[in-house]
Amino acid sequence: MFQFRDLSIRLKLIILLGASAAIALSISAIILLSLTFINQRDESLRHLRQISDIASENLTAALAFNDSVSAGRMLASLQVNPQILAAIIHDEEGKQFGVFMTPKVEQAAGKQHLATLAKLAIEKRAQLFDQRDGLESVDFDYMYAITPIAFDGKVIGTLTLLSDNQELKDKLLYFAAMQMAISIVTLFIIVLISIRLQRLFTAPIFYMIDVIQSIAQTKNYAVSVDTIQNDEFKVLYKNFNDMIGEVRDRDALLSRLATTDPLTSLANRRHAMEVMQSMVSRARRKQEFFGLVSFDIDYFKRINDQYGHPVGDIVLKEVASILARTAREIDLVARIGGEEFLVLCDNSDVESTRMIAERMRLAIECELIEYEAGQQLKVTVSAGVYASVPTSEDMDTALSCVDNALYQAKESGRNRVSIWEKA
Amino acid sequence: MKSKLLLFTLLAMGQLFSVSVWASQEENKLLAVFLGRFASYIEFPERTAGQFVITVIDENPFGNLLDDLYRGKAIGGKPVVIRYATKIEEIGQGDILFITLVNPRNRQEAIDYGIKNSILTISTAAGFAERGGIIQLDFLQQHTRLKINHGSAVKSNIRIGAPLLSLATVIRGDAP
Repeated sequence: MFQFRDLSIRLKLIILLGASAAIALSISAIILLSLTFINQRDESLRHLRQISDIASENLTAALAFNDSVSAGRMLASLQVNPQILAAIIHDEEGKQFGVFMTPKVEQAAGKQHLATLAKLAIEKRAQLFDQRDGLESVDFDYMYAITPIAFDGKVIGTLTLLSDNQELKDKLLYFAAMQMAISIVTLFIIVLISIRLQRLFTAPIFYMIDVIQSIAQTKNYAVSVDTIQNDEFKVLYKNFNDMIGEVRDRDALLSRLATTDPLTSLANRRHAMEVMQSMVSRARRKQEFFGLVSFDIDYFKRINDQYGHPVGDIVLKEVASILARTAREIDLVARIGGEEFLVLCDNSDVESTRMIAERMRLAIECELIEYEAGQQLKVTVSAGVYASVPTSEDMDTALSCVDNALYQAKESGRNRVSIWEKA
Repeated sequence: MKSKLLLFTLLAMGQLFSVSVWASQEENKLLAVFLGRFASYIEFPERTAGQFVITVIDENPFGNLLDDLYRGKAIGGKPVVIRYATKIEEIGQGDILFITLVNPRNRQEAIDYGIKNSILTISTAAGFAERGGIIQLDFLQQHTRLKINHGSAVKSNIRIGAPLLSLATVIRGDAP
């Protein structure tokens, strides 16, 4: 079932603007039509009264001299006005002195109206004859005017004019039709303008929807929205940007927490495995070497036992710092266990990888680690090196190989680099 | 039988006579009213007299009607005076002269007197307007018809208003 709330904002705005315009036009049309009706009615009644006044003036002599023939002739001249249905002169005794009737008044309603008017003229005799005030009124179908005919300061009879309202109705009908036509044209123009104007409101909304959809698809929270409008949309955009900024910061924090080792700030094991997967895949695709170095701090348990875990942590941080500092930009250094580190060397053959490992080992060996003010200690590391052009072997194989090489280095006396060799 | 027929005839004649008398009385009443009303549509020449004089010459058909009707009334701001004359010489100055003279020669003399003295001459006599009288009134079946000799009015320095002329059959030529 159709429901307004299910429509698009664009359509809702057009409908609302159109409906508002239609209501406003209808109200103004009704008011204008009512005012026109009142004006036209008053104008018609005034016109009838003028005709009645002129006719009664002309009829005065005829009534004064009892000349009903002339009176009838004068009344007949009223037929030039097609709206006048009947004209009747009554003398001061209320007797009918002259009459003019069109065939239209022969209709029952017209005759009935005349009878009502005759009764009214008798009822209002005091007003007509003593106060010399005319009577006039209008209803839906007819209007009438009863005018006293005065001779030498004395009312000697009355003239009753009955007119139909056809002209008034025709005018109103014409006006209503014109009003309706103008309203329809105006409404059409307003709807056209509404289609253009709705963009003022919907464009920022649709822009926002596009941005949100884009963020949802790309997970790129680095975007921001902006508008030249200085209205509520500006506030909305600012709040959106603030919110996206918070999401972006939180995302970065989460990402950092998920990929780095909190103690050393190096990549953690999980992140190292993900990067290694992509490096291996790329090296296999490009048929390039991929190098791997595994470090282990020599006698680290002894350091912990002798100096305590806080010093152990300092040692770990310092070693991590040296590894990060001495690694190439394209390499990734990760802490994958307690005192174990892994260096991923992209596009690096056995010799290059060995040189990287040796440089790192040497840098650690040469560094004196200050664990307290004025208190230093020296640590060494053993390293296993593995490098190959990946074929079908998986990462576990490479890790196993580099672990074997590290084991070899430990077995050979520590503080050295050992290269994996196929047995 | 003969006596019954005679009685019926006498009764019928009596009835006709009474109807005729009643109609005549009604006409006289109207006539009396009309005499004053004519003045509303007539512009008389300037007069020094401070009265509006209506004179009836010869037989007075109104009885006391005119006196009763116009007692204490004014026309054109002047009090109305009703006079009754039997001879031309008795007319004197006036504004309206209602002529009931039956003799054509006497009637003509009265008409000429009216023209000469700027008096509005009125009569119900047949051919009155054609003979120079200014207003001739005819009563036909309860309706009034007016005949106005405009030439005589002009000669009398009397101006007749358009509303009155519009009701009347107007004779524009001179009196014969």
